[in-house]
Amino acid sequence: MSLWQQLSLAWRAQGASPLLREYYQSLRPLLQQSLADVPLIAIDMEMTGLNPQQNQIISVGLVPLTQRQLPLAMAAHQLVGISGSVGQSAIIHGIVDRHLQEQSLEQQQLLPWLLRQVMGKLMIFHHAPLDLAFLSTLMQRTNGTSMRFPVVDTLQIERRRLLRECHILPQGCLRLGACRQRYHLPVYAAHNALMDAIACGELFLAQTASINPDVAVAEFLWWP
Amino acid sequence: MDESELLPIRNFLAEIAPFNELPSELLEECCRSLSIGYYSKMSGAVPLSSENPMLYIVRSGAFEVRNAEGELVDRLGAGDYFGFPSLMSGESISNKVLILEDGLVYHLTLALFDKLRAGSRAFDRFFNRAYAKRLRHQDAQHQRELLTANRISSLMVMAPVSVDHHTPVSDAAKLMRQHRVSSALVVNNQQLVGILTDRDLRNRVLAEELGGHVPVSQAMTSAPVTIDANALVFEAMLQMSQHNIHHLPVLDNGQPVGMVTSTDIIRSQSSQPILLIGEIERQQDVASLIHVSKQIPLLLQNLISADARAEEIGRILTSVTDALTRRLIQLNQALLGEPPIAFCWLAFGSQGRQDQMACSDQDNGLLLAEEPDSSATAYFDALTHAVCSGLNDCGYVFCPGDIMAQNPAWRMSLENWQQKFSNWVNTPDPKALMHASIFFDMRCVFGPAPLFAALQDKVLADTQDNDIFLAALTGNALSESPPLGFFRQFVLERDGSEEKGIDLKHRGSVLINDIARVYALSSGLKEVNTAKRIRVLIANGILTRKDGLNLADALEFIAHMRLANQGRQYENREALSNYLRPQALSSLMRHQLRDAFKVVHDAQAALKLKFMRSF
Repeated sequence: MSLWQQLSLAWRAQGASPLLREYYQSLRPLLQQSLADVPLIAIDMEMTGLNPQQNQIISVGLVPLTQRQLPLAMAAHQLVGISGSVGQSAIIHGIVDRHLQEQSLEQQQLLPWLLRQVMGKLMIFHHAPLDLAFLSTLMQRTNGTSMRFPVVDTLQIERRRLLRECHILPQGCLRLGACRQRYHLPVYAAHNALMDAIACGELFLAQTASINPDVAVAEFLWWP
Repeated sequence: MDESELLPIRNFLAEIAPFNELPSELLEECCRSLSIGYYSKMSGAVPLSSENPMLYIVRSGAFEVRNAEGELVDRLGAGDYFGFPSLMSGESISNKVLILEDGLVYHLTLALFDKLRAGSRAFDRFFNRAYAKRLRHQDAQHQRELLTANRISSLMVMAPVSVDHHTPVSDAAKLMRQHRVSSALVVNNQQLVGILTDRDLRNRVLAEELGGHVPVSQAMTSAPVTIDANALVFEAMLQMSQHNIHHLPVLDNGQPVGMVTSTDIIRSQSSQPILLIGEIERQQDVASLIHVSKQIPLLLQNLISADARAEEIGRILTSVTDALTRRLIQLNQALLGEPPIAFCWLAFGSQGRQDQMACSDQDNGLLLAEEPDSSATAYFDALTHAVCSGLNDCGYVFCPGDIMAQNPAWRMSLENWQQKFSNWVNTPDPKALMHASIFFDMRCVFGPAPLFAALQDKVLADTQDNDIFLAALTGNALSESPPLGFFRQFVLERDGSEEKGIDLKHRGSVLINDIARVYALSSGLKEVNTAKRIRVLIANGILTRKDGLNLADALEFIAHMRLANQGRQYENREALSNYLRPQALSSLMRHQLRDAFKVVHDAQAALKLKFMRSF
C-alpha cells in the first residue's frame, strides 16, 4: 500500500510545477514514519462560499504539529486578495474588503506561498475534500495542472470512530465544534482561519492521544 | 498576525491570574509563543522533562500533582498551573503530574516565563507566592484549619481585665476606666467566680447607695454564663441572646482566658443569623413569628454566598428552627396556661442532627414526664397542634410520615418512649427500622434536660454492643449505595447528554448519616450531629484517624455541593432540589465528588465487615 502510494506520487508528479513536485518528493519519506515522529501541519481556509468554481479563498491559517505539540510561534495567517467583494460571507468570517487590501497575497501567489509553508509536512484538515477542491481548482486556473496528495482528515477519523460505536450518526455530529466537544476541548467562538486551524490541530491531538504513538501515520491518511 | 487572531486564547489568559496583570503587549507575545499539547488519561502521567522545564497552563481536563512519596500535593483544573516549582528553583522535577481527565495544556518556555516575571511585578509575585504555598503544603499537608476564623478564640480579648473578689469596687472601677472596658472578670484563686459590669456598678452599688469600699464579690454577677474557647462565634451569640447578656467570659480547660462582648461579635459579623434569632425571641404572637420566618431562605442564601462551611450552615439553620420551635411553645403556653406535667419537645432527623438545609420538613415528638390523665392529654393535644401548625406556617411543612408531636402516637410518657425504643432495638424488623432510624437522631429542643437524659441513657444502654440490632441497622444503612456507577457511565457518554442528576441527599449525605449512626449507637455516644459523631469516633479510636477524616471531608464536600447547587437553583428561581446535573460540574469538581462517593462506598464496606460478619 505505501509502496503504491509512493509510486503513484512519483507518477502524479509528472507535469506538476517544480514547487509541487518538490512537495510530493518531500512527502515520500514521511509516509512510513510513526505518528509520534512525523511532521504535520494543520490548515484551515475561509472562502467566500462553498462552491470552488464560483467562490474564492480569502484567508489561510496554518499551525505546524511537531512532537505532539502545536507551537503557535510557527503559526501563520494569510489573507488573500480576491476579485470582486467578499459580499455576504463577511458575516461569517469577519473579513471585510478593507482587510483584504492590506497585506494580502494575490490569488496566483497563494499556492507557491502555501507549498513553501507545508514543505516536508503532511497536511491536516477538518473536512479535507472542500479545502482540497478549492486548492485544486486554483492550481488548474494558475498552472493548468491537477494536484492530488494524501492528507489527514480529522472529520474522516471521527466518522470512522463514531461508526464503530453506533450505526447512525446524528446530523451535525461531525462539525468541528461538535467533534471538539466530545473531547472536552474548549469552545473557540471566533471564526477565523488561524483559530480554526489550531482547533483542527487540537482535535487531531485529542483523537490520537490515546493511540500507540508507534503506529504508522499512513493509517490516518486520506487520498482525494 | 494581528492581535484579534488568537482572541479565544488571549481571552482565556486575560481572565486568569496572574496573566490578567500583564501589560497587553506582553500578553500578546505570550499568546503567540505558547505551544499547545493534549494529554490523555490513558498515558497516565504528563512526561515532564528536567532539561526543558516549562510552565504548564491547564486549559481543560483535570490533573493531580503528587510528590515523590505519592502523597497528593494539589489538584488542578482549568486555569491552574504546574511545572513552576522547577522553573523557579532550577532544581530537577520530583513531583509527578497524573492525568485524571484528558485535557488541553498550554506550554510556556522558561525563557518567556523569566521574561514575564521580569516584565511584571504582579506576575512574579503570584508565582513566588504559589511556590511558597506549594512548599508549605508539602510540609504540613495534613494540618487542617477547622473553623479557626469562626472560633471564639479568634475575636476574644486576650488577657482580660480581672480582679480578685476581695478588691473594693472603687479600685475595680478605676482599673476598668484605665483599660477602657465595660466589664472585668472576678477571680478567686485563679478560678472564675463572677463578672463585674458597668451595669452591676450602677444597679448594685450606686443605686443601693453603697460606697466604693464594698468588695467586688458583693456587686458582681456570680457564676456567670461562660463559653469555651473552641466554641463557634455564633454559639456565643446564641448564649448571649438566650440569657440576654452582653459579656461572656471565655474558658479554656476551665481557666478564664478571655472575654467576648456583643460589640466584639457585631463588629466581626456582618451576616445576621443572630439578629434573626433575636427577632424570633422578641415576637409576641404567632402571626408576626411567621412573618419573621420569611427571612430564613434569604439567610440561607447569604450563608451560601458567604461560603460558610456546610456544617456551620446546618448548625445555624437548625438554631433558627430551634428558636422558632421554642418561641412557638412559649407563646402557646402563654395562651393555654402552665403545662400540667413536665415535658420535653424532641427533634428528630435533620433537626435532631443539626444539619437542616433548605426545604426541611418537621420531625418531632413530645416526651412527657409521666402518664397524662385526660385533662393533661387534652392540654398537650392543643399545644402540639398549635406548635406543629405554627412550624408548618413558618415553612417547615408537616411531616409526610406523620412523625410529629401532634400525632398521639409520638406523644408519650417516658416509660412508653423507653418501651417503644426497646421494641425497635430488641426485635429489629428491617422495614420498621427504615422508618425508625430517624428517631435515633434525637435532641431535646425544649424542656428539662434530666427528663431527656433519662430517655437517651436508656436507649443508648439498649443499643450499645447489641449485635443483632446493630447488624439490622447496618443492613438498613447499606440499602442504598453511592452513585459510583453513574460516573463510569458519565465518562463513557462524553456527549453529556445524560439528563438525570445525582441525588446528593439520598445517595450521599444520608448514607454518611446512617454510617455514623450505627457507630454512635454501638458505642453509646450521646452526640447526634454527624460531623461531631465522626470527631468523637476518631477521638475514641473507633474510627481510624484517616478513615474518620476522609468521611468527615466527604460529608462536608457533598453537603457543600448540595448547598451550592441549591444556591444556584435559588438564583435561577428554579425549584430547590437535591439533584445535581453533572453538566453543572467542572471536571475537577466531578473528580472530587467521585472521590467523596468512593469514601462513602469504602466506609459502607468497612461497616458491613464490622457489624454484619456473623450474619
